[in-house]
Amino acid sequence: MGVTIRHFFGPSVTLQYPKERMELPKGARAKLYVNIDDCIGCNLCARACPVNCIDIETVKATDDVDLGKTSTGNPKRFWLTRFNIDMAKCMYCDMCVHPCPTNCIYMVPEYEYSDVDRSNLVFHFSNLTPDMVAEVKEKAEEEAEQKKREREEMKRKKAEARKKKEEEKKKQASTKKNDKSDDDKPSTPGKKDS
Amino acid sequence: MTINMGPQHPSTHGVLRLELDLDGEVIKNTRPNIGYLHRCFEKYAEKMDDYSKVVPYTDRMDYVSAMNQEHGYVIAVERMLELEVPERVEYIRVILAELQRIASHLLGIGTFGLDLGAFTPFLYCFTEREKILDIFERTSGARLLYNYFAIGGLIKDVHPDFKKDTAEFTKTLRPVIKELNDLLSTNQIFIKRTANIGVLPEKVALNYGASGPVLRGSGVEWDLRKNDPYSIYDRFEFDIPTGMGEVGTIGDCWDRYIVRVREMEQSLRIIEQALDSMPDEGDVTEAVPKRIRPKEGELYARTETPRGELGYYIISDKSASPYRVKARAPSFVHLGLLPAISKGALIADMVAIVGSIDIVLGEVDR
Amino acid sequence: MKTPEEIFEHLTSQFGEDELSFESRDIGQPWIAVQASKIREVSKFLRDEPDLLFNTLMCLSGVHYPKEEELGVAYHLNSTRHNHSIALKVRVPENEPNVPSVESIWKTANWHEREAWDMTGVVFDDHPNHKRILLPEDWEGHPLRKDYVQQEFYQGIPTGE
Repeated sequence: MGVTIRHFFGPSVTLQYPKERMELPKGARAKLYVNIDDCIGCNLCARACPVNCIDIETVKATDDVDLGKTSTGNPKRFWLTRFNIDMAKCMYCDMCVHPCPTNCIYMVPEYEYSDVDRSNLVFHFSNLTPDMVAEVKEKAEEEAEQKKREREEMKRKKAEARKKKEEEKKKQASTKKNDKSDDDKPSTPGKKDS
Repeated sequence: MTINMGPQHPSTHGVLRLELDLDGEVIKNTRPNIGYLHRCFEKYAEKMDDYSKVVPYTDRMDYVSAMNQEHGYVIAVERMLELEVPERVEYIRVILAELQRIASHLLGIGTFGLDLGAFTPFLYCFTEREKILDIFERTSGARLLYNYFAIGGLIKDVHPDFKKDTAEFTKTLRPVIKELNDLLSTNQIFIKRTANIGVLPEKVALNYGASGPVLRGSGVEWDLRKNDPYSIYDRFEFDIPTGMGEVGTIGDCWDRYIVRVREMEQSLRIIEQALDSMPDEGDVTEAVPKRIRPKEGELYARTETPRGELGYYIISDKSASPYRVKARAPSFVHLGLLPAISKGALIADMVAIVGSIDIVLGEVDR
Repeated sequence: MKTPEEIFEHLTSQFGEDELSFESRDIGQPWIAVQASKIREVSKFLRDEPDLLFNTLMCLSGVHYPKEEELGVAYHLNSTRHNHSIALKVRVPENEPNVPSVESIWKTANWHEREAWDMTGVVFDDHPNHKRILLPEDWEGHPLRKDYVQQEFYQGIPTGE
């Protein structure tokens, strides 16, 4: 009884939840957040994920565009056309956070994002509009094609050069051979008959 | 008559179905049916492309003692790699593992009391367990499934107040254990429900492969922390409490219960010693290997979890993913001996017996 | 306390070297390979011999070796009296995966053997309750085989990825 009465005068231990909230400690595991400006598209987080809930698609930036650098000083070389995290799959293991070279993926203390539709739990972090994505892809393809053409051109040239060289070699060899065969001829009388 | 107990029954602590053949109220035969919670742990472990990716899955085996599960797996892989772990990491691991042991025993005792109608001790236990989970949350960021132990170290360093918090907690727990003894252990109703019930003799326990508190409750002094010391357990002084049949027969439900209560005190002793000698400085991630590719071979590593011997049998074929991971879960084995100890018991005692072997279905079904 | 080598010597003095061999790899623990037909006698000897007294079976695991087209069973034994442990291994061909059950020696093998049958498909002769344990009785295939293909439907319900 004494204990009960004492508890009446002690401080309240109940939190009036929607109005008051418990503060999460530093490093608490809740929703994943990606600072897309700092992402270099290295795919390390997606590879570290045991449940494959991170889906990244990158497009190589064309030579005429400079994407700048991240706040940590890493140069950015890829357009991030897709960076989706499926929080319905996520198991809050923190394994994607540690390998990130620019510390751009981390957990934020936000835990109220339940939804009636599972597809709403896929969070999109890419800041490119669909038009931009298409444009970027087109450009990249164009450049890739051009590069391919250049490479083919180079290959062709190289092949030509090689051919020439080989021909020359052959010529030399054949002249040599001729010399040799001339020498040989007397020693192979059988050939003469045929 | 045959009746079903479960799969949805409050005393089965999960989804366990028991088929009971009855003669009046006396149990003639018990057939446990498991598999409702099967999540293909072993198959997943083989499919992972990295040994370290298995660690979060081990958490989900026994979800009330996740730290101990990780400890077992991590030790197994470290032995395969012949890896030396920094001193500080070992100390932190032992402290966390022992805290987790206390948390798990508190849950086990609390729910055991709850099954038998004692509601207050359950709340006492959960208050204390909450404090441990708070320490874990501040340390790892998660409250239940931590993924905190990495192969070769820890995922990150503990929070700065870790030592202070833990020391404070050890001080507050001792009076609670005393209170718990007054409330539950010496409670006549509780003793009447548990003494001489579900007696497991030593020979049967060994033949059925029992381990942990279930084996110690039968009077066998066997604790892997002492008998096959792993990590740095050989540096600490602690006793192995065993069942002595104080209120009934050796190996009854009360003995298994009291072993857990006394084990908490021993865990406190280990934590205090570890806190005293734990190095303050040191990088906990320095020994974490970038690439984990053990040589060809296999081993069976066993550790003492709150429920008993957890064994990981790992086969490596030189590739980056394990060839085979078999988890020997103590609850699985203990559930197998349920038919042996429940024969001839009353149907109401079944609740006490299931509660006293303290199973976690996540571990049984994997 | 005895080392695995000593235990192996003790065993060969009893059974001869035809059915037993001592094996190890680069890392980890060594094991004693036993002919499948002998496993029950060897187990019984290991349990009852006063110098060995392996009174508990810690673990029993089924393993699939697709390259050799074989199935394996690994037994990890422990003695609480002498505090030593040993691993035994049995290999049987995939098309005739029969291993004598050790359930009569260690009761704990009952469930472990059922699991090994369930997961890898090793058949344990003379097992008192040779049924699947984790999966439903009408499930197809043994999931821990390396060539396992998951059935698409189970009783009309799609089984997912």
